[in-house]
Amino acid sequence: MDESERDPSATAQPDSYEAAVERLEEIIDRLDSGQAGLRETLDLCGEGKQLVTYCAAELDEVGAGLKELRLDDLAAKLDTASDVG
Amino acid sequence: MEESRVAPQGRAAPDLPGPFAVGTYARKLQGWMRERARVQLIGEVTGVGRSKVQAYFELRDGEGAIPCAIWLNDLEKAGLDGAGLRDGAEVVIAGGLDYYPGGGQASPNFCFRATHVRLAGEGDLIARLEALRKQMRADGLFELQKQLHRPVLPKAIGVVTAERGAARRDLVAALERRGWGGSVVWGFAPVQDRHAAPAIGMALQDLAARPEVEAIVVTRGGGSLADLWAFCDETLCRTVAMLRVPVISAVGHERDSTLIDDVAAVACSTPTHAAEAAVPLDCLAARESLERCVVALRRAGEGAIGTRSRHLGALARGPARALQRERSKLNQKIREIRAASERGLTARAASQRRIGTVVLERARRRAVGADMDRRRDALRQAAVALRAHEPERTLERGYALVEGEGGEPLTSAAEAGAAERISLRFSDGRVRARPERDGAA
Repeated sequence: MDESERDPSATAQPDSYEAAVERLEEIIDRLDSGQAGLRETLDLCGEGKQLVTYCAAELDEVGAGLKELRLDDLAAKLDTASDVG
Repeated sequence: MEESRVAPQGRAAPDLPGPFAVGTYARKLQGWMRERARVQLIGEVTGVGRSKVQAYFELRDGEGAIPCAIWLNDLEKAGLDGAGLRDGAEVVIAGGLDYYPGGGQASPNFCFRATHVRLAGEGDLIARLEALRKQMRADGLFELQKQLHRPVLPKAIGVVTAERGAARRDLVAALERRGWGGSVVWGFAPVQDRHAAPAIGMALQDLAARPEVEAIVVTRGGGSLADLWAFCDETLCRTVAMLRVPVISAVGHERDSTLIDDVAAVACSTPTHAAEAAVPLDCLAARESLERCVVALRRAGEGAIGTRSRHLGALARGPARALQRERSKLNQKIREIRAASERGLTARAASQRRIGTVVLERARRRAVGADMDRRRDALRQAAVALRAHEPERTLERGYALVEGEGGEPLTSAAEAGAAERISLRFSDGRVRARPERDGAA
């Protein structure tokens, strides 16, 4: 990899969980290859930690327990809100 | 047709024949209708009612309906008396058009007079299903949903199912087993009667309109194809195909195949599988995987620094080691050179001795040669000088040498006078002579 071409800020916020995991796997593969230089290794580790944090936050969002909503209730709330408005 | 018995007071539409008596027209209409071809129809029974002599109902599908009637004795022959003919049943009827002209008190009535009826078999439904499937495939409706992106970790999913069905419980249990605790928006709807397809379609559209809903599951338990027929409704399936949110169908059991399975993004055999398709990520496994990633990253980061620091340390010790190495090499070279030098000196001394001998010999030879030449020249000169003093040279000039008998030179007249015989030696020979002695002597 050409280190000069990497822009750490470009990977700050992944588009989705799957995109984050895909990038994380790329990073681990690159690190496991042993071909990354010191600067690249440190950059990849930093980026990987950001991705791990993002993924953990995504999992936390769906980790609090199932929330069940009824479409009828949501529609009724919408109707009420529009009436008030 | 006979003209009316009542004299007209005016003509509603002067260009048309008539006016005719309505009863006459009605009877003619009845005859005309009864002459129409007898056919078989297939559809869903709705609005079943009974009089003393006949049962009446509507036969309908998604595109239209026809009022039907069957005499109770024909219904009994078909084995469908009692509750056999019920709302929601998919039936095949045989008969033809009929018209009851009414009477003085009775209202006229149009219907399809069924003389035979039977519940639609799998074969009938499958034939209809295949026709629909062929048409929708030709319309390209099977691919639209499959092109939609399905997130692996949706925050909210919609579910259309029966409120009290077992499918609901199975779905929730499967979601919880995957460790997923997002939002489920329930769109409850009937899943088996003629109201089912429109209600399911409406719930799907309402769920798809909610921005937080990222995938929708449509599910119900197993049943006959007739029971599942709502999920083969053409209007419902076209609706599903056009939704921009991925729909996961799990209708019936594994062997059941409904039209909604064809148009959906994913078709599953059970609600459990539908849960896995709606939330592809097993959250429990994902957390474990994430832990492994953290360990790998930490190891890589620490390893990179540790390895390089050790490398740098080794490099720092490098010069001393290199010097020691070079010093050892140098000592070795010195030893080798010394040994070689000693061997070389001995050999060279011998060689030089050999060379000296040769040189001396050559010098000696050269020196001896020169001396010989000089001597030879001196001898030559001496010879020349000697020759100049030889008696022969004198003799050649005309002198003669006097010799005694023994060849001894006689250098004085006295000696010659005293000798008996003498020899006169000339350059070209000898002459013997006797000296003459005078008396005086």
